[in-house]
Amino acid sequence: MSRTVAVARMQLINKWTYIGWPLTILLASFLMSLAIFALIPVQEGKYGGGSQAPMWYFLVLGIQSMTLVFPFSQGLSISRRAFYLGTLSLFSLIAVGMTGLYLLGGVIEKATNGWGVYGYFFSIPWVTDGPWYSTAAFFFVVMMFMFIIGFWFATIFKRWGTSGTLVSTLGSAVVLIGLAALTTLLEWWGYVGAWFAQQTPLSISGWAALLCVVLAAGSYSTLRRATP
Amino acid sequence: MNDTIVEARNLIKHYKDLNALDNVNLSLSANRIYGLLGRNGAGKTTLMSVLTAQAFATSGEALVFGANAYENDAVLSRICFIRESQKYPDDFQPRHAFRSAALFYKNWDQGLADRLAADFQLPVKRRIKKLSRGQLSAVGVIIGLASRAELTFFDEPYLGLDAVARQLFYDRLVEDYAEHPRTIILSSHLIDEVANLLEHVVVIDRGRIIMDADAEEIRGSAVTVSGSAEKVDAFLAGRKILHRETLGSLASVTVDESLGSRERAEAQELGLELSPVSLQQLVVRKTMAGAGGAGHTAGTGDFSDDTLEARR
Repeated sequence: MSRTVAVARMQLINKWTYIGWPLTILLASFLMSLAIFALIPVQEGKYGGGSQAPMWYFLVLGIQSMTLVFPFSQGLSISRRAFYLGTLSLFSLIAVGMTGLYLLGGVIEKATNGWGVYGYFFSIPWVTDGPWYSTAAFFFVVMMFMFIIGFWFATIFKRWGTSGTLVSTLGSAVVLIGLAALTTLLEWWGYVGAWFAQQTPLSISGWAALLCVVLAAGSYSTLRRATP
Repeated sequence: MNDTIVEARNLIKHYKDLNALDNVNLSLSANRIYGLLGRNGAGKTTLMSVLTAQAFATSGEALVFGANAYENDAVLSRICFIRESQKYPDDFQPRHAFRSAALFYKNWDQGLADRLAADFQLPVKRRIKKLSRGQLSAVGVIIGLASRAELTFFDEPYLGLDAVARQLFYDRLVEDYAEHPRTIILSSHLIDEVANLLEHVVVIDRGRIIMDADAEEIRGSAVTVSGSAEKVDAFLAGRKILHRETLGSLASVTVDESLGSRERAEAQELGLELSPVSLQQLVVRKTMAGAGGAGHTAGTGDFSDDTLEARR
């Protein structure tokens, strides 16, 4: 247990990686969005997609945690289990903190009528329409999903190299195309559309969380036999 | 004092087209300095990786402190193995790496790490990515020494280090080992440089252990006899010849045997010269002898059959 906590502390030794960069990216994207909102001379709600910027960094963070920090952790004789649990728990905490910021930003945004320029950075139509916990769940799960998918691809790369990564990427693509083809053949698109129309941000979060758990379990079993 | 802390039984590591480890049996005792010697690609790093559960054996058993190190925190916390090509997080500086190590090794000595960093003139606030090869080696050496792990592996720690830095490393290693005895495994192909440090020598070649003996035992276990070819051959008839060189009518022959005092006297009477064989020469000769038929310099083709006979 203490070694799991030590892994989390090790990931935080350079504060920029898990804390500094996400905040910097969020702030930079926020300021740029505000500038653009202010430049658009429209007196009604303007929505930008800028708040997704840190999410892409989390994808990279997931990849790097695996490709660069894992080999180092092996040099310090850290078990794969401690590395996995420590890294994933730390990121969960970071995602909780970021979600808090997003919620807070959303509240201020509404109170100030879009920062005084009718610009909405944290509010996203449909996503943030529900109650606060639905918005929170959505942001949290998306952050976890980005990190875990990066981590998962990196584990595949570590274990099976370039060819393994290619096979799993192409394999996933083939499966998706196959499903789409099947849906078309069986003329099920109507049902699919209806299903999506029924979803709320909260239920989408639930499905994504399920996918996260599957991917996280998959990366752990792959990591168990990975070498640095 | 002589507790076995590492035990390898029939270790085999098979890659697609080669046996990186070919039935390795090895047993290492506590509180000694071991040399793991061998050519590049002989299997040194693979062996260390398998022992520390960084890599997996195809078959066989590797026990460290009596148990398999794999996912075993109790065992792993007593091991330090920074590999020669160790990777560090992209944004890490040496001081970050040291602080990380301090989190995991209960005997970590920050003072020692600081002194070593000064000795090696290591810029501790530069990104590791931007360090030179020698400075990168220094980071590994400092973690290895300052962690004071009961079982510490140094994987060719001198790469890129200049002669002064290498000497510093050897000196600091011996000093710290004297104060804090532990088991150190030093993998190297610069054998002469480390020969004096080693208490026990393990030589690996193409995945097989070809020598596993105390350094004391090895010193004097082989001898080179030189003089007129005829006399040398007569004197050494029937002995285990490792290597033979001729120059005109003179021959210089290395035998894998020690000579008793009577034989030494006899050699002196015959006017033959006896010279000790350095550890490096011995390892080179044994490795080449193992490769079969190599180990001859040009112009000695005539003797190759004899040499092979003698070896049999």
